[in-house]
Amino acid sequence: MKERMRHLTLTGLLLVAILVSVGCDTGHRFVKKTEFKDGETIVITFAGPVDEAWAKEKANYAVYEEPDPDILLPIKEIRLSPDRTKVTLSFDDGLNTRQAHVLKTKEMLSEGRSQGTAVLTVKKLYFGLLLSIFIGAMLVNNFVFTKYLGLCVFFGTSQRKSTAVGMGITFTIVIVFAAMMAWALYQFVLKPFQLTFLNIVVFIGLVSLSVQAVDTILRKVNPALFKAFGVYLVLVIANCIAIAVPLILADNEYTGPESFMLALGAGLGFLVALFLMSSARERLELANVPPSFRGLPIAFIVAGLFALAFLGFSGMSIH
Amino acid sequence: MAARTKTNKELFFNGILNENPIFRLALSMCPAVGISTTVMNGLLLGMAVLFVQVFSSCTIALIKDYIHPRIRIPTYTLTIATWVTVIDLVLAAYVPVAYKAMGIFVKLIVAFAIITMRLEMFASKNSVTASFCDGLGMGLGFMFAMMTLGFVRELLGMGTVLGYDVLGFCPLLFFVLPSAGFFVVGLMMAMFNYIEIVYNRRKKVKR
Amino acid sequence: MKEILRITIALTLSCLIAATVMGLAFVMTAKAKKHNEDLYMQETMLGLLGYSKARPAPSDLRFYGVYRYIIADGDRRFLGYMVPVKRGGEQNYALVVMDLKGRFVETMDLSISPEAAGDAPEREKALRVALGPPKAVTYGDTTIIAKRGERRLAYLLPGSFPGFKTFISIMLALDPSFKVLGLEIMEHEEDPGLGAEIEEEYFKHQFKGKTFERIKTIDVVREPLPEQYKKYLERSTWQEGAFTEEEIEEIGRTYEDKDIYAITGATISSKSVSDGVRNMTKRFSYRMGSLDRVIASQGVEVLF
Repeated sequence: MKERMRHLTLTGLLLVAILVSVGCDTGHRFVKKTEFKDGETIVITFAGPVDEAWAKEKANYAVYEEPDPDILLPIKEIRLSPDRTKVTLSFDDGLNTRQAHVLKTKEMLSEGRSQGTAVLTVKKLYFGLLLSIFIGAMLVNNFVFTKYLGLCVFFGTSQRKSTAVGMGITFTIVIVFAAMMAWALYQFVLKPFQLTFLNIVVFIGLVSLSVQAVDTILRKVNPALFKAFGVYLVLVIANCIAIAVPLILADNEYTGPESFMLALGAGLGFLVALFLMSSARERLELANVPPSFRGLPIAFIVAGLFALAFLGFSGMSIH
Repeated sequence: MAARTKTNKELFFNGILNENPIFRLALSMCPAVGISTTVMNGLLLGMAVLFVQVFSSCTIALIKDYIHPRIRIPTYTLTIATWVTVIDLVLAAYVPVAYKAMGIFVKLIVAFAIITMRLEMFASKNSVTASFCDGLGMGLGFMFAMMTLGFVRELLGMGTVLGYDVLGFCPLLFFVLPSAGFFVVGLMMAMFNYIEIVYNRRKKVKR
Repeated sequence: MKEILRITIALTLSCLIAATVMGLAFVMTAKAKKHNEDLYMQETMLGLLGYSKARPAPSDLRFYGVYRYIIADGDRRFLGYMVPVKRGGEQNYALVVMDLKGRFVETMDLSISPEAAGDAPEREKALRVALGPPKAVTYGDTTIIAKRGERRLAYLLPGSFPGFKTFISIMLALDPSFKVLGLEIMEHEEDPGLGAEIEEEYFKHQFKGKTFERIKTIDVVREPLPEQYKKYLERSTWQEGAFTEEEIEEIGRTYEDKDIYAITGATISSKSVSDGVRNMTKRFSYRMGSLDRVIASQGVEVLF
């Protein structure tokens, strides 16, 4: 009997927890979900059907951007889905979806019954933001092909595919390590004490430190791996991406997870660039290149072609 | 130590011609591709590099006897980082508009291989005067290369030089586009190679 | 062991020296940096109002800053405007608080000098003293009001919005009827040769002279910029007499009601700017209207 009681209580608690966590999504029990769609509309999903007369009344909604509570965005059109649970609001002047929006509704009516008022926040999912930072650092703003950083190491290690992959992986590990330390140090030490002018010294020190740390750890933990990747470790310090990433995350005031994604994206983006370039350069060795273009000049031209191709990613963003 | 036998004047020209950081040594390529869109950008970043190179070279030459060999590289890095911070602060304070155009590249001078290399190979073994000349030569060599690239890109891309309208029209917009940096650097390198090949062939024929 | 000690001492010493050098550089440049930034701002503002070295600003031209804050009191939000007032013969600031619908709530006196008001931390300190701890303030924006003699000359609005790559910061000048007097691009990271063209005269001067009614619905058109209009927009670079006064007037009238011609190859950047200008103007006119109404009804003796 006692056992059963405990079981019930636990299940009950679990249900409450689920309800609360679902409820947390929107802050109101009758509203299941609010989201941006197509960068122009806000879609509200209700738990049950709402009355058409209520839903279609523009005065029942008030939408504003979080930092501008006094400016209500004028609603152009309201559409209701056939099953009356989804309301789509479109606006006169498009939406700035980078900004969180607040949506207030007047007393909601469902089948003639009142469901109370709601204050809802509409914003892009945090996961989406993280993903867009990651994809941004890796492809859209690829550090090698669109920001032109880390070129010395890039041209030096892109002759063989195996070297390229080794360098890329080593670099990714070190940069994630260094960037996380840089983020913590910047947010908790340099910024509070107004020592941001020491950024450069501190960050280059951290990069050297992480190279040393990865070196030591790898040597002890996995000597085979060290043998394969150890040679690339020194080159990481000469790579300006390693110092650019901490500087960028300090400039943009990124949070911890965002910094992690930026560093990971930068590292993997470097790996992608190296892999593409080394594949092309291995083929290039068989080609008949004019003597004055042999070596670096043709490599630059190929890199230029890649850069042009990567221009195609620019402006891409994830909604 | 062959370098010691060179006169200061030779040291100075060595950096500009024989061992030009960008065209000959192929070091510090990032700014050469990234912000060589105008002569002005090249000049400003070149000056920043010149400053950092000369001051770091002199500092290291001055204290070379007191540096513990085990912490040689960290000391170099610290020296460079200090001077980069100083020039970064000065540029941000006195030429804010140009500083913004160069963006993150001023701070990234700290990762330039060329500066560390000169400290390790030259300044740590030579007198202050010799290091000064060497640093000046290297810095000017970098500045010269950046300005040449900037000149080509600005002239062909926008038809201007230092902001003054020279051609009156814009021949190939492509050259100021960001990705054209790779092509310009590649073509310039090929040109230098070609000149060298032709020169060597002539020499052979003469013999 | 002795070796390690020597290395440690050497490293510590070099770090200390380096820190001193950098600290000195920071202290020495901090003031110059602020001064130069202010100077640059001042020059931009004067430039937008049509003053330059050749045409110096009149001596009775004054700039007044109005700072908007959002005040949170529990769940409720208010708008607080820091406005310059004259008190005891000297310029000082007062806080005008209104609710979100623009209805007056209260005014309170702040004690902050005009110099200190330009500095964000100083302003927040003064606000905290006046409002008391439970209320939180968030900075909204700044408006600079240019006044000549007794006449309001222009509103200068610094602002920023997302561009094609990162943010674009601009300064917008509006006359008292919210007609655009000028637009200056302060900061951006658009691509050189493409989006970076937004700072060229032929683009930013297209906004000049657009009326408030026109700006409300402004958009970009993807058509080539007519040659004659381009020349007209870049007229600051001509020599004398390339166009007669009548011709300038006529071209100006022809294109007055046109949308903005997008930059070739940079439609998104162009659209960002025109959307940004439109939003800023609309919001500002609404806010300025309610602020003026409240100030008039309460008889606050503001300086602008």
